[in-house]
Amino acid sequence: MSDASHSDARILEVRDVKKRFGGLQALSGATLDVVPGSITALIGPNGAGKTTLFHVITGFYKPDEGEIAFLGDSIAGNPPHRIARKGLVRTFQLTKALTRMSVLENVMLAAPAQPGEQLAGVLFRPLATRKREQEVEERAMELLRLVRLDRLADEYAGTLSGGQRKLLEFARALMVEPRMIMLDEPMAGVNPSLGLQLLDHMRLAQEERGVTFLLIEHDMEVVMTVSERVIVMNEGHVIADGPPEIVRNDQRVIDAYLGTHREEAV
Amino acid sequence: MTDPGFWIFVGVVAGIFAIFALGLQIQLGFTGLLNFGHVAFMAIGAYTMAILVVRTEMSIWLAGLIAIVVSMAFGLLIGLPTLRLRDDYLAITTIAFGEMVRYFALNLQGLTGGPQGTINLAGSGRAVSYNGEWVQFQRRVQGWLESLLGDTFLGEYINPNFTMMVIVWIVVIALILFLQRTVNSPYGRVLRSIREDEDAASALGKNVFSYKLQALAIGAAIGALAGLFYAWQFSFFSPIDFLPLQTFFAYVIVLLGGLARNWAVPVGAIIFAVIFAGTRFLNFWPLTEFDSGERAYLRLIIVGLILILLMAFRPQGIFGRRQEMALE
Amino acid sequence: MAAPEETRPPLLETFDLDAGYVDVNILHGVSIRVERGWIVSVIGPNGAGKSTLLKALYGYLKPRGGRIVFRPDGTDHDITGMKPNRITGLGMSYIPQLDNVFPTMSIMENLELGAYLSRKDFDERLGQIFEWFPILEQRRKQSAGTMSGGERQMLALGRALMSGPQLLLLDEPSAGLAPAVVDLIFDKLIEINEAGISMIMVEQNARRSLAMSHYGYVLDMGKNRYEGVGRELLHDEKVADLYLGGRGRLAAAEQLGDLDYEAQERDATREAPESRGS
Repeated sequence: MSDASHSDARILEVRDVKKRFGGLQALSGATLDVVPGSITALIGPNGAGKTTLFHVITGFYKPDEGEIAFLGDSIAGNPPHRIARKGLVRTFQLTKALTRMSVLENVMLAAPAQPGEQLAGVLFRPLATRKREQEVEERAMELLRLVRLDRLADEYAGTLSGGQRKLLEFARALMVEPRMIMLDEPMAGVNPSLGLQLLDHMRLAQEERGVTFLLIEHDMEVVMTVSERVIVMNEGHVIADGPPEIVRNDQRVIDAYLGTHREEAV
Repeated sequence: MTDPGFWIFVGVVAGIFAIFALGLQIQLGFTGLLNFGHVAFMAIGAYTMAILVVRTEMSIWLAGLIAIVVSMAFGLLIGLPTLRLRDDYLAITTIAFGEMVRYFALNLQGLTGGPQGTINLAGSGRAVSYNGEWVQFQRRVQGWLESLLGDTFLGEYINPNFTMMVIVWIVVIALILFLQRTVNSPYGRVLRSIREDEDAASALGKNVFSYKLQALAIGAAIGALAGLFYAWQFSFFSPIDFLPLQTFFAYVIVLLGGLARNWAVPVGAIIFAVIFAGTRFLNFWPLTEFDSGERAYLRLIIVGLILILLMAFRPQGIFGRRQEMALE
Repeated sequence: MAAPEETRPPLLETFDLDAGYVDVNILHGVSIRVERGWIVSVIGPNGAGKSTLLKALYGYLKPRGGRIVFRPDGTDHDITGMKPNRITGLGMSYIPQLDNVFPTMSIMENLELGAYLSRKDFDERLGQIFEWFPILEQRRKQSAGTMSGGERQMLALGRALMSGPQLLLLDEPSAGLAPAVVDLIFDKLIEINEAGISMIMVEQNARRSLAMSHYGYVLDMGKNRYEGVGRELLHDEKVADLYLGGRGRLAAAEQLGDLDYEAQERDATREAPESRGS
């Protein structure tokens, strides 16, 4: 489904990224790239550095070393909001719903190009603001219908369960109309039938709008079902990269998940 | 206790405090900024205006406008280094800021008149007031009110205090309408999202730092406005009017009403002013054991007690929603 | 690694344990047993509930169903929902993954705190711990916060041992440590076990922990999935499949298709547990 046919251009390029926290080398030279318009999974055992890598790519941590480029522009060390505005949006492993705001407001917040979000816009462009608000509200309700949260649109987001909050974050990410979405465990806590729909929406967004997806997932079935390519991390760097069926049977990957031990006689 | 004149005076004070608290509201209630030095903006507003009027004989209106702008500038100045700090550190540095302003006022005698206050603004030996132009304006307004309502209103002569009360409360209502419009706008939505979760707002492309600066600046402007009215009402002030205690009062008012409820602030301010002034009249034992000086402290104790009870039994304030507290 | 010589009842047993956090249940009917003198591994893929199990055993979580029986002195003690400090007093110590030493205190002070509940045999135990971990004796005045990861782990172990436990609960002892250090620590654990102290070990490195365990339990989605002698599980392909295979939940949901639309509507608001670690 990707445009790999006419270019080698990668939408996201990560080169040799290192990040240390005190005594812990969380990322030890992570290198990967993502093909535009694809759905790629990032897997690996606990502590492999997947979420840390997400934080570094999206500007929540600064890398110690290494390069990161999105759509050809270097983004390493940029603040999160600037990276988001370039079209790279992410969700969080521990969901960040805006709890004392309504579900609808949560999604509306994500809308791009709303002049009323600037003070000057509110004061001097009330008509444009109101018009955009209407569009935004319609689109937000559309997305909420997609994730079956429309009935809860006026409830406080804080009353949602964990799985519902994951869905809310997914809808919110789509609302930004980004080029690429990085999802951190999008299926965790989500009921399987709804999960299936989410995967469908992912594919739809990919086909109709060319959105690229990179997701961290632990559920292997999800990974096998939806991803075209799987990148495996362990101990802060990438150890394998390829189509799902191949990666899954790669001995290095199995070793990474189960650990290694010295052969010894006891 | 039955002297309406006194209660009108309370109404004026309540109005000034309502403005002051609204300035805190936009920082704390909407954006989640823990500013504990808000009184500094009141001081900067009042002093800037007074100094300009006395020293340069500027019109009081121009001086007031400049005072508001200067206060906003100070807001930005203090915001740039501190807004990246975590909540509790922001609280500490803003208290320091508030105190710094008061100490400058105390010690820069040449500029501010020092501990004796604005009476000293033109140097020792010459008592001055900045308030001439305001008093004239107030008389004109009083004239209009009298022609509108007749000589008396509710059995009371229309006097300067009554006039001031009307003026201040018109401003309060205008401010609330402005803030309501802001909070219900997309702009307000961004501010509230910052209060809820900065990282989420950031990840959606909002420049959190810039918005926080703006909230601080707007709060500074409104705080300065409160300072102006304070200065005009009393015709005189000194550094002791700007103790950290004033910020604390604003917090009580905002919390009494319920965070992020604009219309609740004036109600909170009135309740607060009533309690604060009303305890003057409690004439039963054991209060009769205390003299008036001690009663002033007693009032503080009562206000503190009310705050404790409020936090214990109705932390969402009078108008807040319980659900929101649970969701925090 | 021997099986228990006599048919004494197990040191620790859980029966059908249910436990979880405020809005979600993690463990569903988990049953394990630890014979005297055993090292038992608890492994499983992400979200299996391994850490939750340790917390439920030690009283950090009150179980919602089932029982936990601890037999340090041969008699049954029902410790379901008992508070952690009492459980320590009975002879079970817990070594969490993070924040397991007091960084502002010295090594010696940390160890002394470990013995808080039982002052007797203090010198003897201290001597034994210094024998196992000579570096703790050398650096005993050093502040614990300045130690390296491996040293801190040793101190955490030492502190837990100061109360003279019969059973240690270890939550990912190898986390964040370099492989050479992990070797050291695990060798020490074997030594400590040979001195008679039983252990339950939750480990990310499944193979390494199985290699040194008498017995292993594999949890999946909060339930018992497989169990067996450590070395046998080590080579069991089913375990590898569990980590890297799917569970067929999506396939099952797909088969339901649109048949039960209303059930799906209801399902949409009923949730499975959200994973809590990565």
